[in-house]
Amino acid sequence: MSSPALSGLARKANEWLSLIGGFGVLFGAIARCLIRRDFDRSEFLRNLYRMGIKSLPIVTVTALFTGGIMVIQAAPIIQRYGAYGLLGWGAGFGTLREIAPLLTALMINGRVGANNTAELGTMAVTEQVDALRALAIDPLGFLVAPRFLAIVTTLFLSTIFADALALLGAAYAGLGFLGVEPAVFYRGLTTGLLGFGDVAHGLEKSVVFGVVIGLSSCHFGLSTQGGAPGVGRSVNATVVASAAGIFVLDYLLSFALS
Amino acid sequence: MIRLEGVCKSFDRAVLSDVNLDITDNCLFGLIGPGASGKSLLLRMITGLMRPDRGKITVGGSDVLTMGDMQLHEYRKGIGMLFQNNALFDFMTVAENIAFPLRRLFRLPEAEIAERVAERLARVDLPGFEARMPAGLSGGQKKRVGVARATVTRAPLVLYDEPAAGLDPVTSQKIFDLLRAEQRAANATVVMVSSDLDRLLTVTDRVAMMLDGRLIFEGSTEEAKNAADPRVQQFVHGNVDGPL
Repeated sequence: MSSPALSGLARKANEWLSLIGGFGVLFGAIARCLIRRDFDRSEFLRNLYRMGIKSLPIVTVTALFTGGIMVIQAAPIIQRYGAYGLLGWGAGFGTLREIAPLLTALMINGRVGANNTAELGTMAVTEQVDALRALAIDPLGFLVAPRFLAIVTTLFLSTIFADALALLGAAYAGLGFLGVEPAVFYRGLTTGLLGFGDVAHGLEKSVVFGVVIGLSSCHFGLSTQGGAPGVGRSVNATVVASAAGIFVLDYLLSFALS
Repeated sequence: MIRLEGVCKSFDRAVLSDVNLDITDNCLFGLIGPGASGKSLLLRMITGLMRPDRGKITVGGSDVLTMGDMQLHEYRKGIGMLFQNNALFDFMTVAENIAFPLRRLFRLPEAEIAERVAERLARVDLPGFEARMPAGLSGGQKKRVGVARATVTRAPLVLYDEPAAGLDPVTSQKIFDLLRAEQRAANATVVMVSSDLDRLLTVTDRVAMMLDGRLIFEGSTEEAKNAADPRVQQFVHGNVDGPL
């Protein structure tokens, strides 16, 4: 490999390591705020409403159609082997452990993560963050920690909501496409092949994904420079870095939790 | 007293070079100079928002650069600041912006906060603007809300970065007169950066001029108007011809 290529690679690796290091430092600072309960509760609740309640429509649409898609994709195999009684298990297994947390995280990343970066980035370039410091208010406790906690909480609760809706969507798709009665679908879900562990598997992933989105959006937001174009760059960076982080951690968690 | 000793700062080029300045207590001090001469940077350094590469900054005998978090927190509670671009919090109403330091730092009763907010808004000629959002304000109105927020805590040290930018001449003079009255009433130390020299020099006690990151003049307002340095003369009197 030529020397310029090696230098480029080394520079890229250095950038990624700096980024991960920056995330680590920010996570430590946020954790300190949260452990000491040194964060603004009204800001947390305000952001929980904006991020969580206002994301319900998109989570609803995502989840319902996810469940339906799972059934459509499984339909040929179900019909071939007459395994109608296993439809509930099949849809539930994939949905609870993987699809619902993953797609919910990607949706929340696009809606909440990007918006959070844009807000923090705009505040950074218009000196609002500096104004907080000048007013002797710690931006970490007032701005960052409440938003981080709201994002993690939003993703956790949204995943529970998405799980339920995806299974509902799957049940109705099963009825529509395969003629599987909801009672049969439900029996497939609850006859012992699936347990709380499968639900927990997905929820543990949702918490980790929430941490990734929270850290990424806050880090890129606060480090924004260069006015409006800088905000755009930070939003782009957040969405890409969070998505990459979600997929990598999904792989690692799927391996570790199994 | 605010004392700057040998303050230097560089980014891709030197922006502050060996600045030495004393600002006595209880005076209204004007900081003037062409754009990008380092005036706003000095204000940010006095609050501890930016650190110089070299030098020392002491306020009331305390070294700002060596303050720990708790000490810096206490120090900043005694500062009111108006930023060049106002830095109003977009997600708060006008009243919430002005009340913010009172509510967060001093935890005053809500009735007293509402009273002080209304009083501040009346003083800056924006009565009844409590429920408005910053996005719905003109540039001049945002500036006046920023002035209200900077003065609501009656801090002993107040820093203004372009307090009259975007204001019409009449409102501009009213603001300068207000800031002068506030300074006298509170016996505060005020440092003011402004390009509106005609009005600034009607209220200042002392003035310093920055040029290319260096302090080239410091003295009383009268001394500034009659300065021997042709660069100061040209800038203060707004002459087109001259060394600048």
